[in-house]
Amino acid sequence: MKWLLITSAALYLFGSYSRPLFVAGLVAELIHMGMRGQALGRLPLIGPHDTMAFFSTSIALMGLPFLYSRGAKKDSTLSWSIGALAALFALLALPFRSMNMPLPPVLNTLWFELHVALAFFAYGLFGIGAILGGLYLACNERTLLDLQYKASLIGYSFFSASMVSGGIWGYYAWGTYWLWTPKELWTSILWLFYSLYLHLRLKGSNADRIVAWAGIIGFGVTLFTYLGVSMLMKSSHSF
Amino acid sequence: MRKLYEFLTSLDLGIWLVTGVMLFIGIGSFVAKEGSAINDVPLFIWLTQAPPAETWWLWVTVAILALLALNTVLCSIESLRAKWQRGSFLIRIAPQVMHLGFLLIVLAHLFSAYGGFKDGGPLPEGGAFNFPDGSRLELVRLDARIGPMGMPLDFSGSLRHLTPGGVITGTFSPNHPYFYQGFGVYLKNVEIMPAKTALVEIHREPGAGVALAGALLFTVANLMLIWLRRGRRAGSANEKAPEELQTSEA
Repeated sequence: MKWLLITSAALYLFGSYSRPLFVAGLVAELIHMGMRGQALGRLPLIGPHDTMAFFSTSIALMGLPFLYSRGAKKDSTLSWSIGALAALFALLALPFRSMNMPLPPVLNTLWFELHVALAFFAYGLFGIGAILGGLYLACNERTLLDLQYKASLIGYSFFSASMVSGGIWGYYAWGTYWLWTPKELWTSILWLFYSLYLHLRLKGSNADRIVAWAGIIGFGVTLFTYLGVSMLMKSSHSF
Repeated sequence: MRKLYEFLTSLDLGIWLVTGVMLFIGIGSFVAKEGSAINDVPLFIWLTQAPPAETWWLWVTVAILALLALNTVLCSIESLRAKWQRGSFLIRIAPQVMHLGFLLIVLAHLFSAYGGFKDGGPLPEGGAFNFPDGSRLELVRLDARIGPMGMPLDFSGSLRHLTPGGVITGTFSPNHPYFYQGFGVYLKNVEIMPAKTALVEIHREPGAGVALAGALLFTVANLMLIWLRRGRRAGSANEKAPEELQTSEA
């Protein structure tokens, strides 16, 4: 099934000048995910292979409305950039072995799937926000900053909902809606960071470049929360 | 006094306080590693009994959070006062409801930190233990389905609870605890050999209801805000009412 991931990465990397080819890449990834899900009998959300593939799909899926939005740039810079980010994580998923073991009973609940899926949708939107921030800094086009705000606000909403579903799952699974583990601490940092981002906008147009940079730094915090904590710190959330 | 009030309601203070909370939580993520006793006892017991070298970052975080909560309350009051006469009621109220949700979640953590309870250990099939209220809980039967790799695929237990009000029978399994008077009994794991034994934990989270209320308020207001702002140009400060900026910057 890995050939589907390779196909989608190739379509993102070499076909993103054309939106239909970008959509074809997304369809290939969705088919890959559907087949993995059918083989496992659940959403493929465990282990680095499946989570990176899910992250890649989330970036492309969440990026699609931005590619078709009125404010998007006429040239293909935005679609190339979103395609490259989605391709990067599709390719990063390839070296890892897919984990086909049954779910531990504690993970076998809708709250867990909702928690993880919503978090990756948010991560995808934060990635798109970072790209839009970079493009704004390069071109100084106001519309790009407006789109970054939309990506971050919707990402923040997904992330908040992910934290709520995670808290409900934690309460029924572990007896507490909160554990003081590195992953949860960094999850709070990420949520606080995007709260900060939304408040920075209230400072007015003088802070526009700071806001754009905040959207870029926010994706750095996202990547550390997702990958850095799992690789560098021991946590119950590690992949 | 006026200057102090203006300082406490300023947006800049809020931004610096959020930055401070992030900084010290970040430091804490490296200081309090998994395996630390922080998750084994209610938080305030850990805060007062663990060595200061382990707890200092959380004391600083709590102090900054207290200031942030005050800043949030005052900013919400000022924002509502300034905008009460203008605009849509829902647009006015939604951000403040989000603030209220955040404050409730902070309050919930305080409740759980003070009044939380955690205990547990191995319990063999047929064994019993005393509940915190003095009643007796028996593990009547333990069922487990083990996979080919030796990993439990599914497990559950039947319980008999001898309470002052009579005998209650119940079950518990992963994600389905047994609840009694605010306490939850959780089946964490099972061992089949040498004897069927459950790893059982009892928790009380007095802040859970408040946290859920805060989370739901926050989520509903967040969705409401997105809905109300749909189709509007997402200009940064340009779409803000001037008094909002004045209030925030005061």
